[in-house]
Amino acid sequence: MDLAIRIGIVLAEIAAVLGVVLTHVAYLTYMERKILSDMQDRLGPMEVGPHGLLQPLADGLKLFFKEDIIPTGANKIIFSAAPILVLIPALIGFAVVPFGRDSLVIGEFEITPYITDINVGILYILAFSSLGAYGVLLGGWASNSKYSLLGGLRSAAQVISYELPLGLSLVGPILLSGSLSMVTMTEAQGGGFWHWYVITQPIAFVIYMICAIAETNRLPFDLPEAESELVAGFFTEYSGMRFSFFFLAEYANMILVSCIAVVAFLGGWQAPFSFMEFVPPIVWFLAKVYFLLFFYIWLRATVPRLRFDQLMAFGWKVMLPLSLVNVLLTSIVKYFLNQM
Amino acid sequence: MTFSGFLNKVFFREIAKGLKLTLKHTLHREVTVPYPHEKLTLPDTHRGALCLLKYENGEERCVGCDLCEAACPSHCIKVVSAEDQTDGILRRYATDFDIDITKCVFCGFCVEACPVNALGMTKMYEYSTPDKKTLLFDKPKLYEIGEKNYGEAKNYLVAHNQEDHDEASRAYEYRFPSNYTPEPEPAPEEEKAK
Repeated sequence: MDLAIRIGIVLAEIAAVLGVVLTHVAYLTYMERKILSDMQDRLGPMEVGPHGLLQPLADGLKLFFKEDIIPTGANKIIFSAAPILVLIPALIGFAVVPFGRDSLVIGEFEITPYITDINVGILYILAFSSLGAYGVLLGGWASNSKYSLLGGLRSAAQVISYELPLGLSLVGPILLSGSLSMVTMTEAQGGGFWHWYVITQPIAFVIYMICAIAETNRLPFDLPEAESELVAGFFTEYSGMRFSFFFLAEYANMILVSCIAVVAFLGGWQAPFSFMEFVPPIVWFLAKVYFLLFFYIWLRATVPRLRFDQLMAFGWKVMLPLSLVNVLLTSIVKYFLNQM
Repeated sequence: MTFSGFLNKVFFREIAKGLKLTLKHTLHREVTVPYPHEKLTLPDTHRGALCLLKYENGEERCVGCDLCEAACPSHCIKVVSAEDQTDGILRRYATDFDIDITKCVFCGFCVEACPVNALGMTKMYEYSTPDKKTLLFDKPKLYEIGEKNYGEAKNYLVAHNQEDHDEASRAYEYRFPSNYTPEPEPAPEEEKAK
């Protein structure tokens, strides 16, 4: 009985987190369109609902009822598996993200503000986010189209070159907090914004942000789906629900990398000043995530796409050595601090 | 690379500059006109759908002279004219006047060519339809458009210096001469020979 209730609580938590994340994904598309149009002096979606607020619903319905086409030359099994392979890693990472501080205690049961607190939280997210690249690569290959294949190849190259500095940039916060768990990492940054790792690890933060943009295939690193060259890149041949899976995954990934950035560098749910702690921690968490998401979209409205060789050169010649140096310096400093 | 150039690169000065610009533009007023709810005001010289006009007494202006058909660069006008002498005065009029608006290039040459200012251009531009046949404007349809948009067509003619405003324009009104009787058509030569 006890176990059944515990399982029920966990399932309810998973459902709640998934629901919230998917709603955010839907409205992130709206937010993106509105912010982009604002920055380009346009109006953006205005027709469905007041100020176009129901536009994501309309888009979702449209995609749901669209015909599902599998191209004749495509490898059917891989073609249908690829979108799922992209979407699941994007959503599964939210399991270890701590959204708030206080657990809700009802009787002897405790509802935690995170689904689970595994002691290798960050590794878990990194491992799953690399799996997403397989989906992109396989989807590009199985479509049997040159645009899709080129998009998939570019994605593979990009993910390999940017995953290294991404992981290495997270080593800084891991070294400082002495833990791979997201919850412990957040707690280690308590007591004012000067304890946040963005202050002690500014280089790692910048590297992380750049690599996160590259990992999520956003501008200026959206070469796998470069519209002007590759139609839509790896999902050129996809339609209907399968297309929307790729779409959902891209935006879910955006939210996920923002969440990791908030937890690892911006103090998670911690308030910037101790006297501001009366504001619920989840509000701080969401505010930081929203700011990073806004920054992504802001960057998209500003910078043009990189050339592919520039992208690779930047990844291997700048990001990787810089993150290695950062790891080295951090560990040396940490070692001597521990000695004292 | 100079030291300041290096610093600019490290601190992403150029990207920061761009970010500042885009952020500034969020405060700008949008330039979009939400089209079906709000429309741009068109100038009087706007070349929209063609129409046929009538005089104030309800008489058709068109005398079926075919000049518009001759002037049309896209051959979208077709005029069939006939003569009529029911009340003693010989009149010429168009029995059929078809404009294939799908072919029309809206150059306004037909309006310029018309000696009696029977053709006008309106500001009407929304006539998309699922049935292409309705885009072949025939005579009743053209008069209907002309009646509905008389003011616009008139303003077009005035703006293009083809006609004056009401009072003055009455002087241009074309009247068929009452003293003219056509010569009887010579009998076909074959019959003469008989």
